[in-house]
Amino acid sequence: MRLGFFLSEAFGSMRRNWVMAMAAVITVFISTAILGAVLVTRDNLNQGATSLKNRVLIEVFIKDGATDEQKATLEQRIQSIPEIKSYQYISKDEALRRFRKRFGERIVQNLPINPLPASYEIQVKDANQVDGVARQFFDDPAVDNDPGTHNGVKYARETVRKMLGTINLVGIGMWIATGVFALAAVLLISTTVRLSIFARRREVEIMRLVGATNWFIRWPFVLEGFITGLIGAVVAAGFVWLCNWALANWLESSDIDFLQIRVFSMWWQSGSWPAGLLPTLAVLGAALGALGSMVALRRYLKT
Amino acid sequence: MIVFEDVTKIYDPDVVGLQDFTCHIGKGEFVFLVGASGSGKSTLIKLVLKELQPDSGRILVAGRNLGTLRHRKVPLLRRNIGCVFQDFKLLPNKTVYDNVAYALEVVGEPRRSIRRKVPEILSLVGLSDKTANYPHEISGGEQQRVSVARAFVNHPPLLLADEPTGNIDPETAVGIMQLLVRINRTGTTVVVATHDRDMVNRMRRRVLQLDNGRLVRDERRGGYDQVTEVEEQEALT
Ligand SMILES: Nc1ncnc2c1ncn2[C@@H]1O[C@H](COP(=O)(O)OP(=O)(O)OP(=O)(O)O)[C@@H](O)[C@H]1O
Ligand SMILES: [Mg+2]
Repeated sequence: MRLGFFLSEAFGSMRRNWVMAMAAVITVFISTAILGAVLVTRDNLNQGATSLKNRVLIEVFIKDGATDEQKATLEQRIQSIPEIKSYQYISKDEALRRFRKRFGERIVQNLPINPLPASYEIQVKDANQVDGVARQFFDDPAVDNDPGTHNGVKYARETVRKMLGTINLVGIGMWIATGVFALAAVLLISTTVRLSIFARRREVEIMRLVGATNWFIRWPFVLEGFITGLIGAVVAAGFVWLCNWALANWLESSDIDFLQIRVFSMWWQSGSWPAGLLPTLAVLGAALGALGSMVALRRYLKT
Repeated sequence: MIVFEDVTKIYDPDVVGLQDFTCHIGKGEFVFLVGASGSGKSTLIKLVLKELQPDSGRILVAGRNLGTLRHRKVPLLRRNIGCVFQDFKLLPNKTVYDNVAYALEVVGEPRRSIRRKVPEILSLVGLSDKTANYPHEISGGEQQRVSVARAFVNHPPLLLADEPTGNIDPETAVGIMQLLVRINRTGTTVVVATHDRDMVNRMRRRVLQLDNGRLVRDERRGGYDQVTEVEEQEALT
């Protein structure tokens, strides 16, 4: 393959048809920028969902008067439930220490005894299982329930589950949006390329008459699509990253502290998919461009 | 070089392109194709290039049967056939030099030999001083010479010209025809479809005359019109 010749053909044609080339670049830019935005948003949502899930704790408070036997039974019960990811025993002293840390020394100083119960902090594997797991402790004799209630077992019930539900829904919506925009990008690019090839169909006809093989004709166009896609995507990656970065910084410096945004990695995110913004969008843009060219050329290269 | 055996080409509804056409064109011949507009000259040339498929009959070019030639091999066939057209068919975005070089790039000619061959052929057609110009910057006659140069730069065994002088004034046309004759002298078979009566009459080459897709005359050293021949014979007797 004569890469030099094909490259100079591709660049020459882009220079001559720069309006068309610009249109194609902008098309790729818009579609890959949208994809990039979707990626970043999805990533942050996932992040949010994960941290929310981690926060779904079941606290089981233990009666001060519980016997050692009752306590042992309770711990055995915890160990036997498969949905539980991990648990931690918080002794009365530990509870007091935490309380002190949070509310200050003075309130605690005058207490004759430690009123705080010991407890288990339980994390479940899946936030959706919280309810089922919590129920199993309702009637345990070691649990510090007020008579007739289950207030010895504390866990975030409705709110968390609703929030998680919403996040799941938004996540699904994002996937759909990703698909729709990817499709739109392919269509837009192949239309743009088709227009530019239509304008040059006479050239293609002449090339064939001179005895050019289909691939000889195709390469410059494919390279052109590739380069166009690459430029659009790289600019889009930079743009999305900058917006992401600016927003994250702004949120950090503002006093909105319930919202936090992570800056999506530009280069490489080891071990996770998709890789960084730049490689993901660049590969996508270049592939879209090259593919668009091939698709658009198909009907002019039927022998 | 070219063999047509009972070739028929009917265009879509039922327009006759070529009908029961049979002829042999030998290696190194110089042949004129004549006939009224719509008689099938361009159809014949397109069939040789395998731009069109015949409905029936057999076409051989340089011993190869076009009917069984694979699609993938068509570019190879065309590299062995130089083409010159009435509308020049130059690539508008390439300079004179690059237009000629393209025919060599296509066959994978080494860069160095391209740099040698292109100026050589351009000086042969007398365009050494226009190499950097674009097609729209030069005259029709000059454009046609570029297209002849491109057709011949590979030294193909066969050269087809479809009304090469149709858009050119008579004097320039003579120059183009002389070029074709020179090319023919190197051993290349040349087939020229033309309406140029004077040229055909003056050159006295083999003439194939078509009428509504049929071969109506095949003359060794013919003139443009059949009438001329009849009148000549009448004059002789
Ligand atoms: N693509 C086509 N579709 C339908 N009919 C066609 C097509 N090309 C040519 N024809 C018809 O076939 C017949 C022969 O056409 P052809 O172009 O071979 O004539 P020609 O001898 O080259 O004429 P001219 O001297 O005007 O160039 C004409 O009647 C023409 O209208
Ligand atoms: Mg014609």
